Amino acid sequence: MSEAAKNVIELNNISVTFHNNDQTLDAVKNVNLQIQKGDIYGIIGYSGAGKSTLVRVINLLQQPTAGTVTVNNQEIQQLKPVELRQARKKVSMIFQHFNLMKSRTVQGNVEYPLLGTKISKGERQAKAQKLLKLVGLSEYADTYPSQLSGGQKQRVAIARALASDPEILISDEATSALDPKTTKSILELLKQLNRDLHLTIVLITHEMQVIKSICHNVAVMDAGEIIERGPVAKVFTDPQQKLTNDFVETSTNVKEAIERITSTIEISDFKDNQELMYFNFIGNSTKQSVISEFSQKYGVDVNILFANIDQIDGENVGYMIAIITGDLNVFNGAIQKLRSDGVKTRILTDALLEGGEDQ
Amino acid sequence: MTAIIPNVMAMKGEFVQATWETIYMTLMSAIISAVLGLLVGVLLVITQPGGILEDKLTYSVVDKLVNLLRSIPFIILLAVISPLTKFLIGTTVGTTASLVPLIFGIFPFYARQVQNALLDVDHGVIEAAESMGSSPTEIIFRIYLREGLADIIRVSIVTIISLIGLTTMAGAIGSGGLGDVAINIGYARFENDITFTAMIIILVLVFAVQLIGDWIVRRVEHN
Repeated sequence: MSEAAKNVIELNNISVTFHNNDQTLDAVKNVNLQIQKGDIYGIIGYSGAGKSTLVRVINLLQQPTAGTVTVNNQEIQQLKPVELRQARKKVSMIFQHFNLMKSRTVQGNVEYPLLGTKISKGERQAKAQKLLKLVGLSEYADTYPSQLSGGQKQRVAIARALASDPEILISDEATSALDPKTTKSILELLKQLNRDLHLTIVLITHEMQVIKSICHNVAVMDAGEIIERGPVAKVFTDPQQKLTNDFVETSTNVKEAIERITSTIEISDFKDNQELMYFNFIGNSTKQSVISEFSQKYGVDVNILFANIDQIDGENVGYMIAIITGDLNVFNGAIQKLRSDGVKTRILTDALLEGGEDQ
Repeated sequence: MTAIIPNVMAMKGEFVQATWETIYMTLMSAIISAVLGLLVGVLLVITQPGGILEDKLTYSVVDKLVNLLRSIPFIILLAVISPLTKFLIGTTVGTTASLVPLIFGIFPFYARQVQNALLDVDHGVIEAAESMGSSPTEIIFRIYLREGLADIIRVSIVTIISLIGLTTMAGAIGSGGLGDVAINIGYARFENDITFTAMIIILVLVFAVQLIGDWIVRRVEHN
């Protein structure tokens, strides 16, 4: 199979511009995106970055101002309205606020996509029951959505999304209204659907945690553009952009730790032979006794203020903040050694002092 | 009874007939106005900016027409519309003739109420239906009218109650019913018990509509 054929979604030079009276807003700017069949592709960005607009282009709920959309080797902008509606049945969507129909029972909601198709009533009911069983809500078939919890509602929405046997599932902040435990169970369910039904999942979120737990590939969006993309492990262990780094530090609590440390420790009181340092261990270096070697070999004291180990797409990543006290002449050599071991370092002292003077 | 409401007791037959006339006028004009009002209300919702079949021209024409019709005071509409009534029914007096002004008086109001009821249907649900490949017709019948049903019934109750009020006004200028009895007999002859009894019967009708309506709303709503 050629590279192009494996891509179930191809967005080429997509731009979306909104006009509101005399104001124009470039919600999506010239975005190219290829998503392979069977992938779980995450799109992360803060609100207003254009994520929702971008994914709505995939099923043409949002018409792009420019660019072409190819789904399943079908240029969907060329389709007639009837054909487009047919194509949309293969691209299901779940939403942050579930968007269930409150006038229909759970069963009725799941049956909805099958109304008006050739499937008989009996088959329709049987299929809905099968799907409700899959999401673990069989006993709720006759209740109305208003009686369900958020997590249960999202499960119903997932069952409904699966009723038309889609190949692609778009998740628009589907876990953002849920608590962490429920989020985890919903993500597990999505992972299972990806594995068992070979469903391609496009997931947008503002939470790194979500990307880390289920995505294989990720694109980081900011102001309508994709600023960084690639395999999750690579993008989040070696972020190239400040925003990406921001997401990583927020999710690993590094950001919070730096804030806490600088508010409790007076950096200006540091002696000349002291530095506040940030270490980032990736892959193999997480398994070696890097710090104790560093301390013994170069005769420096390491006072650890914060440390955390995380798993990103199966890879260990460690974060540490420490005060280093020792002979600064050997210091540079020591850092060189760390770098060759695969540890990334950053001296926080100067940056923080400058920051402090600014205020 | 004869001691308390002597004039009413003297014309029991007329009262029964007037009550039926009021019910007839209300029901017939309600049914036709419901069809027209639902059509126009749905049309407004789907053609409005951001609607599923957005059409600026249609929306602005229909919207302005509804506003225009709603601005005409009913008592003046009764007179203004009489040539049309004469053309359609052949006469301007009687209960059937009153249906024309009643329909024109109430359906624009009902259309606006239906529009507001449908606007309350969660836009996210509409979007979900679109994402599931529903056609505009399917969205109107399976989402808007179904999800909005409880609110549509609520505004229907309000509309029918207003309509009962309008039938009495029409009655006063010659279409019969309880309004006719209250004004042209009770008020004109200073027979206050007749006016009062007509009012009581109208109140009973209003409460009945309200009770039945509320009961239906409870049946269809699942919030």
